Amino acid sequence: MSALDLQGVTKTFGGLRAVGGVTFKVPERSIFGLIGPNGAGKTTVFNLVTGVYKPDSGSIRFAGEELSVLKPAQIARRGVARTFQNIRLFGQLTVLENVLVACENRRRSGLLSALLRSPSFFRDEAEMQRRALELLAIFDLDKLADETSTSLSYGNQRRLEIARAMMLEPKILLLDEPAAGMNYGEAEGLKKQIRWLRDRFDLTVILVEHNMQVVMGVCEEIHVLDHGETIAHGTPEEIRKNPKVLAAYLGEETPDEAASAAAAEEEAAT
Amino acid sequence: MSPSTLGDGARTSRAASPNPLLRRILVTLALLGAVVGLEFGFDTLVPDVALQQLVLFALVNVVVALSLNVINGMAGQFSIGHAGFVGIGAYTAAIVAGHIHKALGVDDILFSNSFIVMPAAILAAGGVAAIFGLVVGLPSLRLRGDYLAIVTLGFAEIFRLVIATAQTGGDVEGPIAKFLAYLGGQNGYAGPDRNGVPQYAGPFWIFGAAVVAVIIAWRLKFSGWGRALRALREDEIATASVGVDPTRYKVTSFVIAATGAGVAGAMLASMRNGNPTVQPDQFTFAYSFDAITMVILGGSGSVSGAIVGGVFVTFTVKMIEQLQRFESVQALQAAYPSLDLNALRMVVYASVLIGLMILRPEGIFGEREIIRRKPRQRVSHAPPEPLPARTEAEANPESETGPLTGKAEK
Repeated sequence: MSALDLQGVTKTFGGLRAVGGVTFKVPERSIFGLIGPNGAGKTTVFNLVTGVYKPDSGSIRFAGEELSVLKPAQIARRGVARTFQNIRLFGQLTVLENVLVACENRRRSGLLSALLRSPSFFRDEAEMQRRALELLAIFDLDKLADETSTSLSYGNQRRLEIARAMMLEPKILLLDEPAAGMNYGEAEGLKKQIRWLRDRFDLTVILVEHNMQVVMGVCEEIHVLDHGETIAHGTPEEIRKNPKVLAAYLGEETPDEAASAAAAEEEAAT
Repeated sequence: MSPSTLGDGARTSRAASPNPLLRRILVTLALLGAVVGLEFGFDTLVPDVALQQLVLFALVNVVVALSLNVINGMAGQFSIGHAGFVGIGAYTAAIVAGHIHKALGVDDILFSNSFIVMPAAILAAGGVAAIFGLVVGLPSLRLRGDYLAIVTLGFAEIFRLVIATAQTGGDVEGPIAKFLAYLGGQNGYAGPDRNGVPQYAGPFWIFGAAVVAVIIAWRLKFSGWGRALRALREDEIATASVGVDPTRYKVTSFVIAATGAGVAGAMLASMRNGNPTVQPDQFTFAYSFDAITMVILGGSGSVSGAIVGGVFVTFTVKMIEQLQRFESVQALQAAYPSLDLNALRMVVYASVLIGLMILRPEGIFGEREIIRRKPRQRVSHAPPEPLPARTEAEANPESETGPLTGKAEK
């Protein structure tokens, strides 16, 4: 049973074929890596899965349901949450409010009860805040709950974005370059956090990442794109040795150089 | 464990205190008493009729600013045609109030009769404006920024020009043309018998409308709905990514803003000692522009800001008009006959605005409110550091297998 199933997904922007016939299945509860050089179409795949773009052709199925006909908000409500490559928080809102927006779709009391300040409004609000604070505590952000999100440090902003996505109680979490700007130690921490999140919340994690230390260390399966096309798919070990992948990342080279580059990468990953 | 609270939390905890209902009833009675008191005490409080009129007009403008603040301030959509919705409300209310007044058959404007006329006029004005809000909002809120601004401006101008340029004399044929002729064209609508729109909206109704508008605006802002709207203003794509449908929220906020403007229009049409005719010239772009100024000057997204902005702009515009009575200004005009005093007024007004925007670009309040609610101390719900620490060295193996809180417990 796969959590997400892409079949021949294609997207062109003008004359540019950003994603050309990409097909892959993401196993349930796996940590799945989507890698490739800059401009390979990784983020476009995320945008297609989350409904920001509509595919020109192909199908994207999640739990048996076609996602490509749904609006972004509907897809999010189905349980597909994401973070963004360039952090997109609600700047002027506090940390707590950022997370609370993510449970807005589950609010039971309507606009009228908010206007009348009915008991159900207070009940809902208290319950939402309780859950939000629990989640913030997990991400160690509860002490910062009343700060505006722009005042947070970069690392905290990244974690807040994940916390906000987790508030949706997603079945799939799409992380777009979560290790960007992290040093070696932070990236090591991130690997643990990703595994921990998967185990703790029982979800599937799909990762777009350039940091090979993270990708090779945490992913169970990896899909490699280059110029919008699939060039490889397999376990980290297979991908590391795949000559096409090495060529895409490092350019054409002799087998000797490829082997030494792979060895160097291996070293960095351990 | 007691539910933790924030933002609206101070209110949550108070309302959850032993007698929330009693407190609410008392506050309602106090506000009602104040508004009724103003109805009868307004003449003593503010003896000058011109000033009375100005105060009432300022309050109507507060309602206009509060409603525009929902769409421009909170949702971050730039609507520059708010006068159109005020105008629709004004015409609707004038027609409804005029006919009910005629049907009542009492010539005097009685306070007791205003309880028949005003609710009907307000409901009709708000309802019709809301329908127009939906019709304009549904297609145009797919547009962003400048494009939306152009559509809203276009709507307001079309509304005004359709009425202003309608053929009023001679043979008019067809139901639409007859209706437009009935609205009086450039001269305006003055009731079914053309002897003025009945002016039922005294201090009770206008202060009352302002108070209710403030309460509604406040409660909207500090609710999940207002939060989602502010999130939308910050980042539309991120808002959609957490399951909030931007179009739905934008259209709802547009309809609410239009409804508020319609109610303000109803007040404007039937304002005591006000203009007994509803004229298209009251709803030009200049009025939309004033409304935007009120919101931005007070602080986009701030309820307090909209109140202060509404009052401030009304009085500033009036004050500059008063300047024209100064001898020095009149001497200036005598010396230069081609000098347009009205244009001069705009120059002064613009200068004031430029100065304020340089000194306080975020407006008087920014997004803040007068009443600053202090977040309460919260009880931590989760064990410390359940998420693995960031570096290996800091990692605490126990925390990964430690007691789980949060969703798994539920």
